[in-house]
Amino acid sequence: MIPVQPLLLLSHALFSLGVYGILTRRNAVGLLLAVELILNAAALNFVLFGRVFAHVQAQAFALFIIALAACEAVVGLAIVLSLSRYAKTVLADHADALKG
Amino acid sequence: MSHPAMIAAPPTLTAPELLLIPGLPLAAFAAILLSGRLAGRAAAWLAVAALAGACGVSLGLGPAVFGGSRLSIGWAWLSAADPRWAVGLAVDGLSWIMLLVVTAIGTMIACYSIGYMHDDKHFPRFFAYLSLFCASMLGLVLADHFLLLYACWELVGLCSYLLISFWFEKPAAAAAGRKAFLTTRIGDTGLLLGILLLAGVPGGLVFSQLPEVARRLPESTVTLISLLIFLGAAGKSAQVPLHVWLPDAMEGPTPVSALIHAATMVAAGVYLVARTLPLFTPDSLQVVLAVGLTTHLLAGTVALTQTDIKRVLAYSTLSQLGLMMAALGIGARSAAVFHLVTHACFKAVLFLAAGSVIHATHEQDLSRLGGLRRAMPWTAALFLLASLSMGGTFLLSGFWSKDAILLAAAASSPWLLWVLLLGAAMTAGYIFRLYLLCFEGEPRHHEERHAHVRPPGPHPAMAGAGGLEAHGGRTGESPAIMVLPMAVLGIGAALVGLVESPWLGHPFLRLLNDPHVHEHIDAGVAVLSTGSLAVGIWLAWVVGVRRRKVLPEALRPLGRRLYQLAANTYYVDECYGRFIIRPFLSVAERLFAFDQRVIDAAVNGVGRLGTTIGALKERFDQLVVDRLVNATAETARGLGLFLRRLQTGVVHQYLLVVIVAVVVLSLALRR
Repeated sequence: MIPVQPLLLLSHALFSLGVYGILTRRNAVGLLLAVELILNAAALNFVLFGRVFAHVQAQAFALFIIALAACEAVVGLAIVLSLSRYAKTVLADHADALKG
Repeated sequence: MSHPAMIAAPPTLTAPELLLIPGLPLAAFAAILLSGRLAGRAAAWLAVAALAGACGVSLGLGPAVFGGSRLSIGWAWLSAADPRWAVGLAVDGLSWIMLLVVTAIGTMIACYSIGYMHDDKHFPRFFAYLSLFCASMLGLVLADHFLLLYACWELVGLCSYLLISFWFEKPAAAAAGRKAFLTTRIGDTGLLLGILLLAGVPGGLVFSQLPEVARRLPESTVTLISLLIFLGAAGKSAQVPLHVWLPDAMEGPTPVSALIHAATMVAAGVYLVARTLPLFTPDSLQVVLAVGLTTHLLAGTVALTQTDIKRVLAYSTLSQLGLMMAALGIGARSAAVFHLVTHACFKAVLFLAAGSVIHATHEQDLSRLGGLRRAMPWTAALFLLASLSMGGTFLLSGFWSKDAILLAAAASSPWLLWVLLLGAAMTAGYIFRLYLLCFEGEPRHHEERHAHVRPPGPHPAMAGAGGLEAHGGRTGESPAIMVLPMAVLGIGAALVGLVESPWLGHPFLRLLNDPHVHEHIDAGVAVLSTGSLAVGIWLAWVVGVRRRKVLPEALRPLGRRLYQLAANTYYVDECYGRFIIRPFLSVAERLFAFDQRVIDAAVNGVGRLGTTIGALKERFDQLVVDRLVNATAETARGLGLFLRRLQTGVVHQYLLVVIVAVVVLSLALRR
């Protein structure tokens, strides 16, 4: 048998760290890292419950997440790159030009 | 008081040539109106020819009328079925006499006017109006229906207005024309009311059926109708109190005064009363007599004091018209009509002679005229002849007509005879005063004094000679074109009366179907009338020329006061002005002020109400609606401003919002 509790705890801890990171990282790349953490936590969750309930789709879904995460990282890094080129900064709170 | 005898209706023949009589002058009027400026002098001859033609046709009707038949031509005017509206022209004895008077005198005066109006720049217009006047007057005397008579009556009044104010640039002439029209209008209203009352009665509007109508209606109604008709006649014939227009009407050219205001139009009233005499009850005849006598005496006294030739003649006309009305009041219809005819002749001569004097000397004031007998012998002679005729000299026409009236008065009551004799003396007085002051005595006319006296005799009749001042400022006789018509009328003035004398069989009375025939002259009345003539002439000579005082010393102030009263025409015009015209005008002014202040204010008020409502709506619009709209916008803006704060641009804050929302939603939506 799989020990659900600890893995669940792990995934939740990863998720929380990710959320904490989103809310506090000033550096945009750090923020992206935190987003990756959240995604991976979600993937871990999926795999866990796939194993517990003997769903194969869970694993497929985890692959989806990995692919999506990759794409999203590309896009995000592209944005950060543009930001760093035009605003000369990578700090997220400096990018407040959309302030209404 | 007798009415003309009610005899059986005379045989009626249809005579289409009756249409020619008013038709020819009417055609002349139309022709001159359309082509006057082109025709120029020819316009006058057109008028003369038309009138002469009408005269000829009228004469041609003579034998038939004398035979006792009645000529007529009628047509259904308004409705073929209702005989009430069958209008037409008819000639009986009375109409025929009037026809001759109007056409003969009209023709003569038209000829005279060619000379008189020669230098006038509105020459054709004069003859157009003259023709129209003659046409309407002829229509009036030919009418056998009240409606046609009324139409022609009004037309005659219109022509009188047009001709009085012929020189309308002169304010006095324009005012005189208006005065004449308005005053006769008052009379015409009475006539119209009478006609309306008669229209209700079957057959009431046809003259030939009047005796029956008078019998059928109650007496008070008939009296009322006849008095209303008399009101119309009084206006047209200038009886007191509607007489004020006639002296002012002398502003018109003298031929107009001669034709319209002496011979024909003013006689229309007398004709009307004579025509409708069956309607006059004894009561209304008394009124007619009273009014006639008042006019006769009042105007006679004024005529004695006037200093303008034409005014004297105007008041003389008033006086004679009063005499005619008084004669009608006594019931002496044929005497009144006879006097109408003779008066027309001699008054026309008098006016034409006065016109001749005015044309030659350009003076109308007696104080600047005198001694013209040597310079204008023909005019003077004709004036004298007409004056003698008017005074009632034996054998001249005035004698016969005045005698007829005096005889009727004597038959009626003696005091009436003496009153009329007094009037006759006044008549002789004023007319001889006029003759003596104008033609005899020292020439006060300055040109006459300083110049040779031209050898007497009229000029050769050159077309448009007008030769008066042509000889270096000397006064001379008027041209033949003016003197000849005067002479023809003068012959008439002298001899017309003889027609009625006993020696010729009284054709006049036969024409008028009057059964009273006097076979011989009444010597007493003849002597009395000649006596009054003598008194009048003596007074005129003594007071006017010799300037001796006739009144005893004590009465002289009173005499002077009375003289002043008469000379100022008894202040009738002033009374009318003060008691009638001024109140009327002040009422009109007050109504005008009312109109301005109340009605206009009301209309403006409604307008202002509209603008006030508009202003209120504007305020409402500003205060309420705009504020509402602004509030809406403000709300949106406020909301926007508030919501803007959510957009900080800081990514972390957005992410926080997302996370908080997820947490809240997951807690809220859990099962």
